[in-house]
Amino acid sequence: MRALSLLAVAVFTAVLAVAIPSAQIAPVPDILVSRQLAESAGLEPGQIVRLSASGEAANASTFRVAAVYEPTPDPMQLGNVRREVRLHLPDLLQFTRATDVPVGAETVTAVNVALADPAEARTFAADVTARMPGVIARSAEGGGRSNAPFVVLERFHLAIALITIIAATVFLLALTIMLVDERRETVGVLRLIGLPIRRILTQVLLEGLLIASVGALFGLGLALASEDLINWFFQRRYDTALIFVNITPGVAATCVAIAVPLGATATVAASWALLRRNGLRLARR
Amino acid sequence: MMNAPGFAWRSLIRQPARATLGILGVAAVGALLFDMLLLSNGLVLSMRDLFTTTGFDIRVTASTSLLSTGPLIDEADEAAEQIAALSSVESVVTLRVAEALLSRLDVRDHFTSFQGAGGGGEPPWNIIRGRHARARRELVINENTVRRLTADVGDSITVRASCIEEPDAMPPLTFTVVGVADFPFDSANGTTAGVTMDALRESCGGNRDDTADLIMVSSTEGADSDAAAAEVAALRPDLFALTNDAALGVLQRGSFSYFTQISAVLVTVTLTFAVLLITVLLTVSVNQRLGEIAALRALGFSRRRVIADVVCQSAFIVGLGGVLSLPLGALLALWLDQILKQIPGVPADVHFFIYQQSAFTTHATLMVITALVSALYPMRVVSTLPIATTLRNEVLG
Repeated sequence: MRALSLLAVAVFTAVLAVAIPSAQIAPVPDILVSRQLAESAGLEPGQIVRLSASGEAANASTFRVAAVYEPTPDPMQLGNVRREVRLHLPDLLQFTRATDVPVGAETVTAVNVALADPAEARTFAADVTARMPGVIARSAEGGGRSNAPFVVLERFHLAIALITIIAATVFLLALTIMLVDERRETVGVLRLIGLPIRRILTQVLLEGLLIASVGALFGLGLALASEDLINWFFQRRYDTALIFVNITPGVAATCVAIAVPLGATATVAASWALLRRNGLRLARR
Repeated sequence: MMNAPGFAWRSLIRQPARATLGILGVAAVGALLFDMLLLSNGLVLSMRDLFTTTGFDIRVTASTSLLSTGPLIDEADEAAEQIAALSSVESVVTLRVAEALLSRLDVRDHFTSFQGAGGGGEPPWNIIRGRHARARRELVINENTVRRLTADVGDSITVRASCIEEPDAMPPLTFTVVGVADFPFDSANGTTAGVTMDALRESCGGNRDDTADLIMVSSTEGADSDAAAAEVAALRPDLFALTNDAALGVLQRGSFSYFTQISAVLVTVTLTFAVLLITVLLTVSVNQRLGEIAALRALGFSRRRVIADVVCQSAFIVGLGGVLSLPLGALLALWLDQILKQIPGVPADVHFFIYQQSAFTTHATLMVITALVSALYPMRVVSTLPIATTLRNEVLG
């Protein structure tokens, strides 16, 4: 449900005329113009414009552009160019009222209600619907619905991330097996001079942790460096202020929490098979 | 002397664990790549199929916005009559989509898509059982509505329509269910009811009378859709006549473009990831075999021959992984499709991942390029290998 308290939002089919010198006319109602409309129609604050709800010049009214605003990013409007004008509600009602509708009999599309106890929203909505035939009241909750479009897209991206992690793990295992194999002789000598398996494993684990930590930090650095680039690309592509990639501390912590143990575990797992072999056999190679 | 592929194969199976892991890694990355290629165009192809199944090839709207997102067509009946009179037009159906609260007995209210069809042609939904609604107090419902309201053909349903952009509610009217239908743009869990246009207008209490969201036009058999659309546009320049392909173009440039973009980004990331990892895998493998390669060179293997060995190893890893990635990708696509179809409003019959020959060809081409690019650095390593020094170091080591 859209907010209609002080300002009303209207999207009009045409901005008919622009740039009547403001000094020549009496004070006119103010409007706000979205950045996208301002850019496409060449509007600037202070200019006088004529708007028509019907697209006909004869029905146009005069307004002053008070400011240009950036529309609140709305994921549901991705791909739509937000050419919008905001008027004060009394101005909008005056502007859109049909000739046969008396003053005070105009309609609004919605009334927003703030409850003292938001938990009673559903009960209140049901009560209003029952008591007022012709009116439907709905709870405004819904942003956290499990099937909201961007919740679903988040799930999709998580699934992609999971597949990427699986692929990376497989490659990591292959690489660590090769690297450990390369050090077979060294490990054999260490075993022969008396170092216990546990000691060598601890060393391998520490080494794995170090490499994984450096790798994770490098990955985070890469992600941070590309964050602005990806946002810039998509924001330009869709002409929106929406943020597409946002690396929060939580996201960074999750990545490190997955990458570091994974890297360390892969190193230990690859080394374990080697360490179980006889020291002589390893050193003899 | 054994040929290069045979030699490369033996080199691979000598280290089965690392070869298997390399192939599995490529399979996982290749599966993701395959899915992203399917996603890039899948939604458009699926929507095209859906448009085609409705039997109409031209959509007339008041703006370039598609169904329910743009302004209504005023005086829709007159427009429909004018369009129906064109020689290139077979049939015309006006469609108005509203919302309604449906209730039955003690079953609580359900918000439902409430559609009215008029204009003389058959409504754009397929009857599963019963018949089309013809009278003012008759309606057809989809299977989800049948389940939610525990209603079927012959039962009565109370309808409170809501016909303007934001919720309003009209006095309740009682309708009789005369059929159960499959509505082409129904979402998986969406409830829908269909009535005649007159019934919908009556339910709306006169709100937006004689308006329609859409006029669906079927051109005569053998007629060119583009020509018919142009004829409609010339007749009514105030309206937008889009063929199914043009409507798909609008979707492709708008809301569908997100999936094209995201698939392009993921294809790039996936390929970079695959090239980096296979390069590292091959390079480490080559570095471990430097002594062996130098010995082979000393025995008479040409530089070209050892390079061919590296290329063949890369080709085997990427080739086998690539083949494995196709069934894996197909399974993965089913899972990802299930996730994406949970987006509200996505028609149940629409799929995000559709098999296309072009996706298969692109996948194969990209895999070949990956194999070649990944082998470049290890190829350089073996081609510039100093034979004597390497053998000496090997002996001393």
